[in-house]
Amino acid sequence: MSLKLPGSFKKPIPGQFLMVRIKGRNEPFLGRPFSVYSFAQDGRGVYVEILYKIVGKGTMCLSGQKKGALLEIHGPYGTPFDMDKYPRNVILVSGGIGVAPVTYLASQYRHYLPAAPHLEMVCYHGVTGSRRLLGLERLKEFCSDVFISSDDGTVGYHGSVVEMFEKDVLSYNPEDTMIYACGPRPMLKKLAGLGEVPRFRCQALLEEHMACGLGACLGCAIRVRDGEGRGAYRRVCTDGPVFNIQDIEWDY
Amino acid sequence: MAVDIGGLKLRNPVMTASGTFGYGKEYAPYVDLNLLGAVVVKGVSLQPRKGNPPRRIMETPSGMLNAIGLENPGVDVFLRDKLPYLSQFDVPVIVNIFGETIDEYRRIAEVLNNRPGIHGLEVNISCPNVKEGGMAFGSDPDMAFKVTREVKSATGLPVIVKLTPNVGDIQAVAEGVEKGGADAISLINTLLGMSVDIEKKIPHLKNIVGGLSGPAIKPVALRMVWEVVGRVSIPVIGIGGITNAADALEFLITGAKAVQVGTANFINPKATVEIIEGIERYLRKNKMNDINDLIGTLNTGGNVC
Ligand SMILES: Cc1cc2nc3c(=O)[nH]c(=O)nc-3n(C[C@H](O)[C@H](O)[C@H](O)COP(=O)(O)OP(=O)(O)OC[C@H]3O[C@@H](n4cnc5c(N)ncnc54)[C@H](O)[C@@H]3O)c2cc1C
Ligand SMILES: Cc1cc2nc3c(=O)[nH]c(=O)nc-3n(C[C@H](O)[C@H](O)[C@H](O)COP(=O)(O)O)c2cc1C
Ligand code: FES
Repeated sequence: MSLKLPGSFKKPIPGQFLMVRIKGRNEPFLGRPFSVYSFAQDGRGVYVEILYKIVGKGTMCLSGQKKGALLEIHGPYGTPFDMDKYPRNVILVSGGIGVAPVTYLASQYRHYLPAAPHLEMVCYHGVTGSRRLLGLERLKEFCSDVFISSDDGTVGYHGSVVEMFEKDVLSYNPEDTMIYACGPRPMLKKLAGLGEVPRFRCQALLEEHMACGLGACLGCAIRVRDGEGRGAYRRVCTDGPVFNIQDIEWDY
Repeated sequence: MAVDIGGLKLRNPVMTASGTFGYGKEYAPYVDLNLLGAVVVKGVSLQPRKGNPPRRIMETPSGMLNAIGLENPGVDVFLRDKLPYLSQFDVPVIVNIFGETIDEYRRIAEVLNNRPGIHGLEVNISCPNVKEGGMAFGSDPDMAFKVTREVKSATGLPVIVKLTPNVGDIQAVAEGVEKGGADAISLINTLLGMSVDIEKKIPHLKNIVGGLSGPAIKPVALRMVWEVVGRVSIPVIGIGGITNAADALEFLITGAKAVQVGTANFINPKATVEIIEGIERYLRKNKMNDINDLIGTLNTGGNVC
């Protein structure tokens, strides 16, 4: 879905998200967070695309909006991905709709190319089946390889994206590699559990239900280990949505 | 537009509701804090509290359930890291406090006494989320009386006591609070509620139950404000589901001297200022100069509660 926004709208940094609400409605009541998929600007305004999957009431209503409909949009919100100034290897691990933020990240890394001529960017992307292969065209432009896996084996590697990535992980050098992960929580948990992953810098984009999106309600908490290794809650909307994958506590 | 809440002078009757406006800073990019009647900060306790495990919120028809669990960094960190930011503004700051024992309420009131930058206390005797927490104080008139008296004796600041709607007789609790010496009463806090995931057959909230807020609770809040203004003579602050100026006006006409805007901030960060502007427009349209001439003008045809 493409959104036209006023020229004053700040350029989102990869990993940041928008809160989207259908104007003037109490049902669905709260805004919904969506990652930025693309950003463009011209004399008339700012254009942001989001890519979404219909999973419930909010996304269903969004899909019913006609061209030109008015939405309430706030943002960009959240702490973005850390991007390397002189990247060498960038690995994107995504599942399902997680392709949206990694595509925007990849597009922004492309701007670094003059400073990092040896940048190698690859993506491991998992889907449930071949009918879910949406939104990959751009990613293919930005990455030298996009490896696909599917749960049902109808396309690419038969199995989970993390299993597929595990087979290659030893071929990357942790010293000059950054991993970015975005997808369903079980996928991220599995990735965090790979024995090799702690040697890499690995950032994951987490999801949680939100109300305000800007750090005030404390509704979007997830549990992490703080600097001293103790359990603590962090807000996905402001402390995240990007976290160091090592810091996340998966079970509570 | 100015109102007087038990000695606390507000430039207009629109305040923020505790827990929905962070510590002010979160909303400063959207709202000129100097325009607000007052900022009520997130509930503060003597010791830091981690809050409840997720999932903490669930959307419901025209509202939401929350079980945040009164997460806060504790009063010391509040004074050191949060208050200085708010002190830069020319807006009354009201600190919402809670404790698990009467002694804790008194001690936190003492810590906050005589602090520059704090203009009033709001005593939460109502939060339904914490098992050992406020529930008992707010649901019993005698306990409400005792907490109020303790806090009053520990501070020179105006004391607002915030009531829970999860009681049988709200008027009795309000009377207890007035007798305890409160300068004002605010109501309502959230209504205890619940929501179930029918696929997984589990409650949506990890805490099982949570507090309902938003437009869904407005009629209940309004009814309770009406009952309380009919019973006590201290000022009453109306809270519950206020999302626009018309909602706020309903409370003012019913007799609330001020209102607090809560959940509406989540769906519209500018809700407070838009409500202030809307009330001003209403006064102009009705050729009224003083908001106080509007407060409590409800005509019930002689019926009282
Ligand atoms: C930072 C961030 C970025 C996101 N980016 C995208 C994106 O680019 N594209 C996209 O399609 N979706 C994205 N999401 C998820 C999206 O916000 C939810 O799918 C959406 O809110 C669902 O609303 P709904 O009313 O349709 O579903 P609901 O009826 O609210 O829920 C349907 C199901 O989805 C689950 N769910 C809903 N919201 C969340 C959430 N925030 N976190 C975890 N589970 C949830 C519910 O528990 C339920 O099982 C993002 C979430 C976050 C936090
Ligand atoms: C996420 C959230 C957190 C809250 N935290 C507090 C709190 O710390 N202390 C308190 O007294 N009330 C708290 N409340 C209650 C609100 O201040 C208010 O009384 C209630 O939400 C009803 O108003 P509303 O419908 O306008 O939101 C909280 C409400 C919400 C939604
Ligand atoms: S959504 Fe309100 S604090 Fe994150």
